[in-house]
Amino acid sequence: MTDKPSPPDVVATIARHGSDMQRVNDKLRDLISTLRTSKDRLAGSLGTTMPEIHLPASMAPMAPPAANEPALELENRRLTAELAMAREQLSRAAAEREELRKHLDELEVEHRHVCDQFVEAEAQASEMVQAHATLQQIHGADGLEALLQALQEVVINVVGSEELAIFQVEGGELRLARAFGVDAGPLQRIPLGQGVIGRAAERGTIYVAGREGPPEDDLLTACVPLKAGGKVVGLIAIYRLLGHKPGLGPSDQALFELLTTHAGQALALRRKAGPAA
Amino acid sequence: MERKKILLVDDSSTVLLMERMILSKSQYEVVEARDGQEGVEKALAEKPDLILMDVVMPRLNGFEAVRRLREEEATRSIPVIMVTTRGELESVESGYASGCSEYVTKPIDGLELLTKVRSCLGQ
Repeated sequence: MTDKPSPPDVVATIARHGSDMQRVNDKLRDLISTLRTSKDRLAGSLGTTMPEIHLPASMAPMAPPAANEPALELENRRLTAELAMAREQLSRAAAEREELRKHLDELEVEHRHVCDQFVEAEAQASEMVQAHATLQQIHGADGLEALLQALQEVVINVVGSEELAIFQVEGGELRLARAFGVDAGPLQRIPLGQGVIGRAAERGTIYVAGREGPPEDDLLTACVPLKAGGKVVGLIAIYRLLGHKPGLGPSDQALFELLTTHAGQALALRRKAGPAA
Repeated sequence: MERKKILLVDDSSTVLLMERMILSKSQYEVVEARDGQEGVEKALAEKPDLILMDVVMPRLNGFEAVRRLREEEATRSIPVIMVTTRGELESVESGYASGCSEYVTKPIDGLELLTKVRSCLGQ
């Protein structure tokens, strides 16, 4: 391993070489000056013109070197090297940052996906709770009056309407069994096939206002026929929804289908068992 | 971790059942009352961490029940979430005026209810 000269040694060496070169040049200039003088003297004595002696460009008188020029040169080189290293580090950091940004974007997408899944799962859980509560209330009702009360509660608290009527099919017509929030007078008896309610009962299909063409009755939101053994045994008419409920959604449709089957069977069973059941 | 106790006050068995199902799956302990009067009595006896209070109930309505809870030293600071079918501003303002902390509207949305329950319990 060789010892590298330290920066002050290098500076001193270069300065020394510079001084030596300067001394040599000075002597050469003196010599040339002497030769010029001798030439002029000879030309005078001979009466002829002697060719001019030109100094080479490298021998032209030089300005004395600045004492700190080598040190500045070294500092310049050091700073240039540091700058190159810094640029390389910056480039590496930028590449790393780009990688991290990509990774962050991927994580954000994944996070959003998980959040969406969570919300969807909670919505499904909420629908399950509604369905479970509805079934438990319907099948746990002790007698016809309790069943009608349970259906009323389901419409108010699960569907979200405080205006409803519940009918039973008797003698080819719908007879009002319970009304809440609406005038019961005109609803006491509705022949099958008459009006929106009568037609929904006759067809045995769920009616939702505005789903197939313009609403047939401005006050009605939905009619849910209640079936047992393929026959319509009753119907729930739902009028205006609660003010803060914007409209019926897919979960309401699922609930109506559940009511059609389960509430229909429960109604038929309670009626079969008699008024006291 | 200690389970938080929540008092459910509602005269609808359907609502009580739904609230119980939503909250029980999130590891809350649940006690129930069927009207405002029973709700005040249960709150004094059970010292719940939170109360879900219906508005329209027999014997004592939800607003009046909350006022009474606020008069009692033991129940004054228990947060109350009003559970109501009325989303109108007037009803909401009445709820806050009586001393409720938050409100949710029926039909109950499970995620909304859980979010507000957790918020009121500082979770």
